[in-house]
Parts: sequence; structure tokens; C-alpha cells
Amino acid sequence: MSRDHSNVNRRTYLTYVGGTAATVGLAGCSDNGGSGEDNENGSDGSDGSDGGDEEQLPEPETREEHLQRANLRLNQRAPWIFLNRQYSVYGIASRLGWDARRDERIEAQAISVTEGEPSVAITQSSMDSGLDPHDHRETPTDNIVVQAYDGVLGRNADGDIIDALATDYERLEDGRVRFEIRDGVTFHNGDELQPSDIAYSVNRVVDPEVGISSPQNDQLAGVTGAEVVDGGVEVTSDGINPIVFSLFASYCKVVQQDWIESRDTSAINSDMNGTGPFQVVEYEQDVEIVYEPYEGYWGDAPEIEELTIRSASEASTRVSQLLAGETDLIVNVPPQEVSRVRDEDTTEVTAVPSTRVVFNAMRYDVEPFSSVEFRQAMNYAIDLDSIIENILQGFADATGQPTLEGFVGYNEEIDPYPQDIEQAEQLVEDSGHAGAEITLETPVGRYLRDVEIAQAVASQIDELSNVSCEVEQRDFASLAGEVTSGDIENMPHFYLLGWGNTTFDASQTIIPLLTSDGALSSYQGDDEVDELMSESQNLPGGN
Amino acid sequence: MALGRFLLKRGIQGVLVVWGVVTAVFLLRFITPGNPVTFVAPLDASAELRAQIAADLGLDQPLYIQYVDYIGGLLQGDMGYSYLRGTEASTIVFARVPATVELAVAATIVAIVIAIPLGVISATRRREPADYGATLFSLVGISTPNFWLGIMLILVLSVQFDLFPTSRRPIGFFETFTFLVTVENGLSVPMNVGAFLDGLRTWLWHITLPAVTLGTYFTALVTRLTRSGMIEELGQPYVRAARAKGLPESLIQYKHALQNTLIPIVTVLGLQLGTLIGGAVITEAVFSWPGLGTLVIDAINVRDWPLIQGSLIVIGTGFVLINIFVDSLYAYLNPRVVH
Repeated sequence: MSRDHSNVNRRTYLTYVGGTAATVGLAGCSDNGGSGEDNENGSDGSDGSDGGDEEQLPEPETREEHLQRANLRLNQRAPWIFLNRQYSVYGIASRLGWDARRDERIEAQAISVTEGEPSVAITQSSMDSGLDPHDHRETPTDNIVVQAYDGVLGRNADGDIIDALATDYERLEDGRVRFEIRDGVTFHNGDELQPSDIAYSVNRVVDPEVGISSPQNDQLAGVTGAEVVDGGVEVTSDGINPIVFSLFASYCKVVQQDWIESRDTSAINSDMNGTGPFQVVEYEQDVEIVYEPYEGYWGDAPEIEELTIRSASEASTRVSQLLAGETDLIVNVPPQEVSRVRDEDTTEVTAVPSTRVVFNAMRYDVEPFSSVEFRQAMNYAIDLDSIIENILQGFADATGQPTLEGFVGYNEEIDPYPQDIEQAEQLVEDSGHAGAEITLETPVGRYLRDVEIAQAVASQIDELSNVSCEVEQRDFASLAGEVTSGDIENMPHFYLLGWGNTTFDASQTIIPLLTSDGALSSYQGDDEVDELMSESQNLPGGN
Repeated sequence: MALGRFLLKRGIQGVLVVWGVVTAVFLLRFITPGNPVTFVAPLDASAELRAQIAADLGLDQPLYIQYVDYIGGLLQGDMGYSYLRGTEASTIVFARVPATVELAVAATIVAIVIAIPLGVISATRRREPADYGATLFSLVGISTPNFWLGIMLILVLSVQFDLFPTSRRPIGFFETFTFLVTVENGLSVPMNVGAFLDGLRTWLWHITLPAVTLGTYFTALVTRLTRSGMIEELGQPYVRAARAKGLPESLIQYKHALQNTLIPIVTVLGLQLGTLIGGAVITEAVFSWPGLGTLVIDAINVRDWPLIQGSLIVIGTGFVLINIFVDSLYAYLNPRVVH
């Protein structure tokens, strides 16, 4: 097994780079605030100067250092109002033992039953959008599919990479990695897993010529194909692809080539034939799916003898089902329902920080957000702790960078912006945009308490004496359509969005959202960030 | 013969209405923001992948070609494939129809069984406690929001007293009959009657709270209609004549006055039933009832046009059929309508 690790003393580096730089960044806000960067750059829509009098930092060497530096830079340039990291909050019957995962997946194999029948019912917010493991992107479908399909690699509850259908993996050269395939694995139809099935599964995701245009194409970013070589599977990528193992730990479930090729779309979406711990007994679309353990499973047999997954879109209905003993595990318990679940003897609440960050993007190319001082001021205006405490009942963490704690590239020396009204008002004055009227566009019901968070943000900004802010509630479809249009001109100026990143790597947040080439970037033209990210993608050192 | 012509005319109008619905939904694509590809593709998908997905879904074609293709398919019974689910839209839509019809009919039955006697009692005992009670009930019923009532019923009757299940529809009404008879080797074999009764009980147990929730507003409305209709009828000269003739009061009330009152009630019941077929979105959501209403809302949220269109065709057809039925019933009750 070959994994790349930094030889640099990370702590020493961070103490110097992160600590110094953070000080420089904050100092820059107050000392250089009046430099009027926006005036220099506002006309051409660029993002202000680099803060030329900032202290020179040592060049980052490892990939992780590049990512940490990018996070520091982004914290200073404040392209977002950094809000919160969401928690996944579950309600669970006390008779079950289960550790919630950070990637929001529920792998029922990890559930133990301490009391009562060994059958477990899980209620999600919705059912699957079809059972094809390569033709969906959303978590509810993932939760249904992962019970029956395995990946090449996997993750434990903490997000660390573990072996799955591959027993060993190594980087052969830049852009080529090799997986050794586990022997004796069988699909639920009894056929033995072949290396060619794994190569086919990879190609089915990345190559539209192989069956479908998989929406998971970008989940295997950079991967160009796979082939069987000497009994193993070799995967090729464009460039070095440092996070390739991380991608395979989260994505690309393995299907049987013959089984898929002999079925039409409807059939593939209505049944499952994987190598996973559970096999499908009964499936009623939109209603429920029932599984039993697969006796030929290659790993440890699950404790559960019958698993049922259902859905209830209303959170209060899910909670009522749990309290009435009709289900054993429910997802997305809203903060206001937590006490109902906690107060009951037979049920508990379990929460875990998720991989989703919620933020307010500010378009770098339009006034007043083209001013770095104005953007920083927006961050200083927010009382994040109060939002987390009062709106999210403590089920969230404050953030000060796009990358979440525990991810490769997280810079632990960066603190969230503190609320400082005076500083915020001064920065607004310095930006030359005093009296600005801004509108925060937010989706409704897409993220946990999104509208309430947006309203709190807007009212706190509105409390500044020199800025007024209001909220516009938007249908997610139309807001997302504008954000993903590929043209920054179509994007809203100021909007709330959430971003899930289950690769546990900073690059998969920063590159799409905050670089010049990002598919939905609201922040472009920052050469330093672009360069750091581009270099990081050509260095080894993924998760 | 006149009734036949009337029904034929109504049938042709119905086809035109459904065709109009399909066309209107197609035109809505022009003005509805949000591209289905946004939901099928990941947010950070490349332009190439988006284009590829759009091509796979046929969305790269001009709208009129998509329209002609769709109508052509529809004439052959093909509603297309759901963008997001990859399965046939017709399969998904028709799977939801029984739940919707069951709930609509059950709510209507709740309304009829409670509202008509209540309305009659209220009208015949004007300004007595029974009348005040019925009036208060209908006022509260009309004013109570569905979602609140549903949640309260769940909290009190399901969670607190464990009298009913909180939600779900584990079995359909017609599915229960599969326990009764099955076909083996071409022969009908009687099955377990006990299982049939168990299935029926499970179904009834699960549909009660959603039906009461949905039917409450409806009950209140029909109670008020019945009351005012009865009061009007009871003041008519023919009632005075009947009383003068010495007919028993119950016969006057139920045989004569109520029958005449029923004409507008039948019309309202039919129209309301049509509305319920269109989906009782909130009730379905609160009780996790897999009906058409939530399907349409979910499909609209992700711009899954084949599902939206398929659902609207079914809802439109249901609405048209109910209206034809109500019209013909009305025509039967009042032949002047036909002319």
C-alpha cells in the first residue's frame, strides 16, 4: 500500500506560516483598510491588490501546505461570508448501537442491535431516484445503494480510507495507479467478481460512451479510464491526480458488467446486484426497500437480519414515527425537534459534523463586493456564535475558511471572523461603499434552516450604520441554475449556498467554488489562489 | 339519446382540456427558470458533461420537436422517462394513482357520512344547541389548517395513545384482495380470508387519520351547504303542502327536502373530489402518503418534466372524468341542463 505523506514538520510550518499570516491578515484589515483597493480595481472587476506590504511568507512545499496557504489567502480575501459547518443530526432508538458518519452515509452493516428484534427500519427524507449506483448524486439514494454495492475502497466512520474490493493500492507513476482486487468476492447473483467488472464500473462513470452519461463523472475528477493488467486494475488520470485514492474511497460503486449490459435502464434502476452486505428482498419505488444479509458477503456478516429503508419528507413525521416505535433511525432531526427525541427514554439523538459548509458567496466582479474591505466587513458584521446557538441549537461549527476541520488542507491556525461592528463599519467606510444596499438571495428549505440563517445574516448586516441588507427567498432550481450557468455574469451578486465535499480534501471545495476556472466560482482572478491550487494538483499528498 | 350526445360532447371537450394541459405545461418550460440538467448533473459539472446530459435527455432539441416527439409518444401510451429516476414516467405516475384515489374517496366518505346528517340536524333544529354545535364544528373545521390538524392527530392519537399508526400506506385497498384470490396454473385458487381481513384492517387503520385530516375541511363545508340548502327547502311551499297533507316530518325532511338539497351538494362534492385527485399535498406529506400531490411537487422542484407532464395528464383526466360524471348526474337530476 502506498500513500504519500509530507516529511515536513507540519506543526512547525503552520505555527510560522499560519500564525504569522493570520496576524498579517487581520492587521491588514485595519492598517491597510484605507488604501482604497476597490478604487484601483473596481473598474476592471478584479479583486483588489495582493496587499503588497504583507509580510513575505515562506514558499509552501508540500501539497498540504499549498492547500493551507490557499485557505489562509481565502480567509484574508473573504470571498464568502464564512458561516457554518452543518451537522448531521439523527434520531435513533436506544436499542441500537451506531456511530454516525461524517459523510452523511448510513451503512447499516455498522448498526448493532442490543435489544429486541434484529430488524431495523431507517426513515430518510426521501427515497431513491433509481437504483443505478452510477446514475445519481444525492445522499438518500446513496444510502439505499451502499447497502448492496461496494466500492473499490471505502471509508470508516471517521472518514479514513479503508480497503474494500481492493486489498492493496499503489501509485505506479504520475497519472497511473493500480488496485489489487480481493479474491473470492461474489455478486448477489452468485457470480464471482472479476477485475474487468471494476474496470467496467470505472469506465461507466467516466466515459459517456460506456452506457450512460454518469452524473458522477466529476466525482472521479481527472480519471480518464481503467483497464485490467496482470489480474489487477490500473486506473489512468490526467496529470498526477493526487486525490485519486480519496475519490475511490468515496465514489464509484462496483457493478457486474454482464448484469448491467443485459438490462435496460428501467431494470437497472429497479433492482441491485452488488457485492455488498445486504441484498434486496423487496423494492417498491417511492415507498420502501427491504434487504436481508447476503450470506456470501466477503466481510463481516451484519448483525441485522432484516433492513428496511423508507422515507417521510416531513421532519415532524419522521420524529413521530421514531417516538411511536415505527422506525429505528431517522435522518435530519431539525433543531426544534431535538428535545422531543432526547426527552423520550427509548430514543436518543446522535449528531456528527458533516462534510457540508454553508456560506454566503459574494461576487468578486460587482460592486460593492469587488472591494476586499467590504467583503471583510460583511464577515465582521456577523455574530456567528449567536446564529449557531439560536438558530441551529448548537448543531453546527463556525468556519473561517472554505475547508473543514479534518480535511486535507485545513489550516487550523485560522479562526472564524469575530463579530466587530466598529471594525465592520470602518471597513465599509474605507471601501468607499458606505450606504450600500445589498440583497442576500437564499434557497428555501434546501439546507438546514437556510432561510432563518439568511435572515439573521441580513439583519446583522442591516444593523451596520452604513449598509442596508435584505433577504430574497429563491426557488433552489432557479438559483442553482444561475449559479451553475458557467457564466459569472448570470450569477446572483450575493447568495447563500451549501457545499458538501465527501473527498475530505480542500481542493474539491476550493477549485470549483473559488478559482478562476471553477465551474461555479464567484471568486476569480486571484492569481495566488489559482497558482496554489494548480500546483497542489500536481503534487502527491491526497487523503 | 340527448344524454348520450351530451356525454359525447363532454368527452370531446375533456380530450381537448387534457391536450391543452399538456401544451400549456410545454409552454411553461419557456418561462420557468431552472434547467433539469442542474439536478441531474452535479453542481460543479463541466459544460461538456452538462451538454452530454442535455443531449441524452433530448433537451438539446428545439421545443417544438420535443413537443411533437412527446405527443407522438403519448399517443402510443409512452410518457417518456423520468429525468432523474431513469424509469418510465407512466410507471411512476400510475403507481401513485391508487393512493391518491383511495385518500380522496375516503375523505369524501368521511365528509358525506358526517356532514349530511349533521347539516340536516342543524337545519331542522335551528337555534337549538345541536345547531350551535354543528355551526361551531363547521366554523372550526373550515378554519383549521390541514397540516396542524394532521400533526395534532398524530401527536395525540398515534404517539400519545398509540391508537393509530403515525403515517405510511403499507398496503393498498385493492392489494388486500390479492389475499383473497390468486391465479395458479390458470385456475383461481381461494386464498386466506384471514390475511385479507388483516390487510383490510391494516389499510383502514392507516388511512383513517389522513382521511379525517383531509375530510375535515370538506365535512365542514358540506355541513354548511346542507344546512343552508335544507333551511331553504324547508321554507318552500311544497314542504308546507306536504305537512298539510299530514306526511311524517322525517319523510318530508329526508325524502323531499334533502333530495332537492343534494343537487348542489353533489356538484360541490364532485368538484372537491376532482381537486383532491389533484393532490392533497400537505396531508400526503404529513402522513407520508405516496400520492400524486407530493409526486408533482417533488417533480416540479427538480424540473422533471416527463413526471410533471405525466402527473398532470393523469390529474387532468381524473378531473375531467369526475366532472363528466358530475355533469351527467346533474343532467340526470335536472334534465334541463342537457338542453
